[in-house]
Amino acid sequence: MDDHAPPAVPAPRRLTGAEHRRLARRYRLRRTLQAYAFLAPNLFFFGLFLVVPSIWLLLVTFQSGGVYGEAQFVGLDNWRQLFVDPLVTQTMRNTLLLAAMSIPALFVVGLGLALLLRNIGRGGPALRAALYFPTLTPLVIIGSIWLFLVHPDFGALNLGIRALGGDTVNWLGDTAIALPTIAMVEVWRGMGFWALFFLAGLLALPEELYQAAHLDGTNAWQRLRYLTLPLMRPVFLFAAIVAIFYTLQVFDTVFVMTDGGPANSTATVAWYVYKSIYVYDQAGFGASLSFILLLMILGLTLGALRLLRSRMDG
Amino acid sequence: MVVQHEAPSAITDAGTGQHRRGSARRSSRRPVGQAGPALKAASYVTVAVAALATLGPFFYILTTSLKDSASLFSYPPNWIPDELFWGNYSRLLTETLFVRWTVNTLIVATTVTALKLLFDSMAGYAFAKIDFPAKEPLFIFLLLGLMIPVSALLIPLFFLVRGMNLLNTYWALILPPLANPIGILLMRNFIQSLPRDLDNAARLDGCSEFAIYRRIVVPLVRPPLVVLGVLTFMIQYTSFIWPLVVTSDNRMNVLTTGLAGQRGVATIDWGAISAGGIMAMIPITIFFLALQRFFTAGSLMGALKQ
Repeated sequence: MDDHAPPAVPAPRRLTGAEHRRLARRYRLRRTLQAYAFLAPNLFFFGLFLVVPSIWLLLVTFQSGGVYGEAQFVGLDNWRQLFVDPLVTQTMRNTLLLAAMSIPALFVVGLGLALLLRNIGRGGPALRAALYFPTLTPLVIIGSIWLFLVHPDFGALNLGIRALGGDTVNWLGDTAIALPTIAMVEVWRGMGFWALFFLAGLLALPEELYQAAHLDGTNAWQRLRYLTLPLMRPVFLFAAIVAIFYTLQVFDTVFVMTDGGPANSTATVAWYVYKSIYVYDQAGFGASLSFILLLMILGLTLGALRLLRSRMDG
Repeated sequence: MVVQHEAPSAITDAGTGQHRRGSARRSSRRPVGQAGPALKAASYVTVAVAALATLGPFFYILTTSLKDSASLFSYPPNWIPDELFWGNYSRLLTETLFVRWTVNTLIVATTVTALKLLFDSMAGYAFAKIDFPAKEPLFIFLLLGLMIPVSALLIPLFFLVRGMNLLNTYWALILPPLANPIGILLMRNFIQSLPRDLDNAARLDGCSEFAIYRRIVVPLVRPPLVVLGVLTFMIQYTSFIWPLVVTSDNRMNVLTTGLAGQRGVATIDWGAISAGGIMAMIPITIFFLALQRFFTAGSLMGALKQ
């Protein structure tokens, strides 16, 4: 671009209205095409692997078979089966119980660690990286590690309990303890992630308020109770949405550690959906179950989102 | 659909991350009136105990992986084996397709990450800097996709991929994850924060939209690209249920499904499983350590905020 070069074309005459509109239209059209060209890859994959399967999911719920043989139209049979299959109720209850056990524990431990991490200067990055390490680890590996740790005979947990004079616990073999054991593993895996998430929220709080509160002679507990917790509410609710979304889909740990047992006491909805494909060859039933899973997740996350919004407005 | 929250900062080191509101993090790390020496010491001890609790099990399988099967179940257990036994590792490398699974995992995770970075930065640019009809509804439509969990779409996705004759191929592992719209949101929010004058000036100079994207925007969005890249890579590296559904050929297994398949029905080869766990952690740990200074939760959360 040479500013001093003489104009190659004669000085432009004024555009007529019609010409102006035509040019503007052409410009807009070109921009639209360009925009959609930029969006094309994403729209393609989003459409093919998210929109199409979402619609297909509904269609599959009216079919039976299809994995090994031909699919057949069975009307509402799968939906009817949802209401009579006791395992459906059990997997839903297990999934909700798992969320009810692990999410509050994750939040308490995560927030506690975040509050403590805030006091730590030197060595902080190393400690945070250590806490974050399980998040990098595939759940399959975490499941295997814990399978070993909770082994009734030679697992580290029971060795410790026996050394302290306690009775051996059958962590995964007892129907009453197996699900809490899975929850414990989920808490162990997630606490570092949530600690760092909450720490990020804590560090973003306005410092002026704390200075003022300090000048007012408040103690640490009062500042936590009346300042930190209320200010962190949006972060908590956002975290709750993410945690619900994630926990209701729990599959990997269950698949590796118990495969749903003993006596289906750790069978989750996602586990049952998986089983319905290859093991039971009941893809249609699995699809209706997926639909229920989808509704559970949408209901709970939208509920939390609504709560979040009303808090923001209020 | 837009979640509002205030929360920049640190996954591992807040100091080097990209902060859009760029304030001095160092000072805000220790608010006034906090942490006397006693409280500080107590904090160190408690967090160190928690860190031991997270790292302990990894140390446990590390020692397990270095024991032969005879000394595995000795009682009392010897926490640090007297003599290192490498048999578990060599057995894993020679008797299973561990190397092949690792290569598969890296191929899939790298390809998905590269494609996601390209496509999401392009889409983010269009949403942030170009005006076009149906922009807002389209954006909200894409965000609605965030609410749909993959595990709920498992069955139709399986039929779809099978119908395309892609079972047991890399395509089955690579293509479906590209539908995830989270990166579009991240990139759009970040690109929107770049000054409008920048691209408008380039437009007046006769730059094409693609040239603006390539020459001006991409160099400026490296930080969120790193965040998105690390996140995508981690998700792909740890993903399990989808590879489990679309692969049945052992040669097409990824690390997670391959290792899970190693668990025998009657007996469990603890030594080999521990060795597999340790070796599977090596690539992702190197990857994370190399990039951790770029990766802050703050840039992620800041970008998701609107």
